[in-house]
Amino acid sequence: MSQVFSEILDVSLRSIYVSGFATLLSASWSIPAAYLLSLRRRVVVLEALIESLVGMPTVLLGLLLFLLLSSSGPLGFLKLLYTPQAIIIGQAILITPLIISTCYRALRGIATSYLELALSLGAGRSQAMMLVLRESAPGVAASTIMGFSRAVGELGIAMMVGGNIRGFTRVMTTAIALDVARGEFESAIILGIILLVLMIMTAISVKILMGVRAQ
Amino acid sequence: MISRRLIALAMILAAAIVAGSAHVLLSSEVRIRIATTTSLYATGLLDELKRKFEEKYPGVRIEFIAAGTGAALKYAERGDACAVLAHAPSLEKQYVERGVLEAGVIFAYNYFIIVGPEGDPAEVRGSRSVIEAFRRIYSAGESGKIIFISRGDLSGTHLRELGIWGRAGLNPAGGGWYREAAAGMEQTLIIANELSAYSLADIGSYLRLKSEGKLPSLVILYASPDDPDMINIYSAYVAKACSGDEKRYALLFLKFLQENQDQIRVFGEREYGQPLFRPADENIEKLGDLWSEFASGMEVGFP
Amino acid sequence: MVIELRGIWHKYPGMAAWALENISAELTSGRVILVSGHNGSGKTTLLKIAALLYRPLRGDVIVDGQSFWEMSEAEKIAARRKITYVHEKPILIRGSVLENIAYPLRIRGLDSRNVAERAEIIMKELELMELADKNAKELSTGQSQLVAIARALAVEPELILLDEPFAHLDSERSRLVAAALQERRRNGAGIVIASHGGGELPDELEPDEVIVLEEGRIRR
Repeated sequence: MSQVFSEILDVSLRSIYVSGFATLLSASWSIPAAYLLSLRRRVVVLEALIESLVGMPTVLLGLLLFLLLSSSGPLGFLKLLYTPQAIIIGQAILITPLIISTCYRALRGIATSYLELALSLGAGRSQAMMLVLRESAPGVAASTIMGFSRAVGELGIAMMVGGNIRGFTRVMTTAIALDVARGEFESAIILGIILLVLMIMTAISVKILMGVRAQ
Repeated sequence: MISRRLIALAMILAAAIVAGSAHVLLSSEVRIRIATTTSLYATGLLDELKRKFEEKYPGVRIEFIAAGTGAALKYAERGDACAVLAHAPSLEKQYVERGVLEAGVIFAYNYFIIVGPEGDPAEVRGSRSVIEAFRRIYSAGESGKIIFISRGDLSGTHLRELGIWGRAGLNPAGGGWYREAAAGMEQTLIIANELSAYSLADIGSYLRLKSEGKLPSLVILYASPDDPDMINIYSAYVAKACSGDEKRYALLFLKFLQENQDQIRVFGEREYGQPLFRPADENIEKLGDLWSEFASGMEVGFP
Repeated sequence: MVIELRGIWHKYPGMAAWALENISAELTSGRVILVSGHNGSGKTTLLKIAALLYRPLRGDVIVDGQSFWEMSEAEKIAARRKITYVHEKPILIRGSVLENIAYPLRIRGLDSRNVAERAEIIMKELELMELADKNAKELSTGQSQLVAIARALAVEPELILLDEPFAHLDSERSRLVAAALQERRRNGAGIVIASHGGGELPDELEPDEVIVLEEGRIRR
């Protein structure tokens, strides 16, 4: 029993590490991209394109990355296939359209006026961006959480480029898939509950955090 | 000041990525990626062998990638796995002939069985051969009395099932009673249990689930260690594309499989009441002959 | 410092009419300039162009002899740091009044002690000390406007542009602000005020020059 438990713990922590990392990585380019987008006037086509990518099937992205990272693929020399890093990269790409489009929606209304304010008080470009992001922090944080939830809950990429290797690339979703395939519904359910609780707790804790800061 | 914080964050990110990758790229640890059929992996035998092997060779880490036999062989071909564990001789032979795989060894075998509901409406019990059993299933199916669940995933078990249908001269596809699960062995068994249906399974997967109480309505209806059609042969190969230390240790692992037959002999005895696999060394010559027979087109699919 | 507007034309996207037509003006330190005109005559547009926030469609904005929109990013920041602008509708940032006033000081890289000192000086001058720790989002419009003006004055700009600064201030606060602006002018700073009436500037503030805008053009 304790071995099963420690395995579940191991898998859960890895999920948090991998998807958390993927979220940070994705946020580091998605949020600035959303900011730049929010300052442009004609973005209808771009916006539609990004929104259409939000629901990209994870298996499709997984397959594409697999073919890229495979030893006989163009990026095979990186030796990234079947490593946690491959999952991190894949999930970061997966949630990029989601973070950009939700973050853009949070920034759209206020970006230009706060940019103007920042410039009028002597801010540089990056200082102005930081002010705009600070002003829309709850929305930006919410979009990042959505990104994390999508990353931690996806299966296709983790399975295809991670390989579900025990103790190395096995994360919650791939562990659940394996448990179901093996008929081990009990541990699949435990993992499923942990996954749900994790997603809910992240959302709540960030809400609380934002609430405290807004006071 | 604010942008300094941004730069700091970016640097932490970069450092973490480098550190994370370095741990994979620069570590002196040798990773051996072995693609394996899911049914073999799911029993837990491989994790036990892996532990022993890594004890014997510190600094080596075996990583199993569980997939259907078809996919596992593909991984080896693409160079994404250094070794393969498979149980579909006809497929394996194709890859060996194409020069993708080499150094093949048979390391274990067990039996396929036909499982179904206790009541056995198809009267499979008492069949003298698996061909006869399949004919009975077919006629019961056609008259609407039973359901048969096929793996439907081109796994070794699925290919064997198709081969038996072919040799019986029957084509069950299209009948509403013949359903393809497109799933792994355990999942297929659970579906069969839910529907009180018939299925072809390897005995290891069946025993494991049965002992855990997950298959209350399924029993073994046909099992014959003497019927060559029902022998399930597990072989290991090294991919030709693999090289260096990884290949050296992959070859050692194949040798290790042959040298640790006793471990295969007893695996599962305590937990499931009887062993899940038979070691290959008992009957290696006969198994070799059977393998060639299977490989040369017995598993041909529907006529 | 001198900001020279040379032949400025400006138009908003989707609008047919020019917001500004061929405007030329010179805004220099040490003077109070009143920009007057009706609503929609182009005052705000003119101020934002002069404050280096809008890039005009045509014409040049020359800052101390150099064309602003052709400067490097670093030069632009340096030029902008000599000027502040106060919006007609005050925009305050998340946080307390003190944090708002400290913001322009902080982004100039001042250490925290310096920031606190200078913020305190301006808050005392405009009688904002009591509000220092109040959440900026909970202020009245008049208080917000006062905070926005204090924030713009905190960095002691060489040129300060204010869009309808007295619109929401009562007479006492108006006098306070007018005195503060007059003080800056004596110390050599330039003041540009946009106001649609023109007559209601507090007595403390005497314009040296009046620019009257009419449908985007300067009336001579």
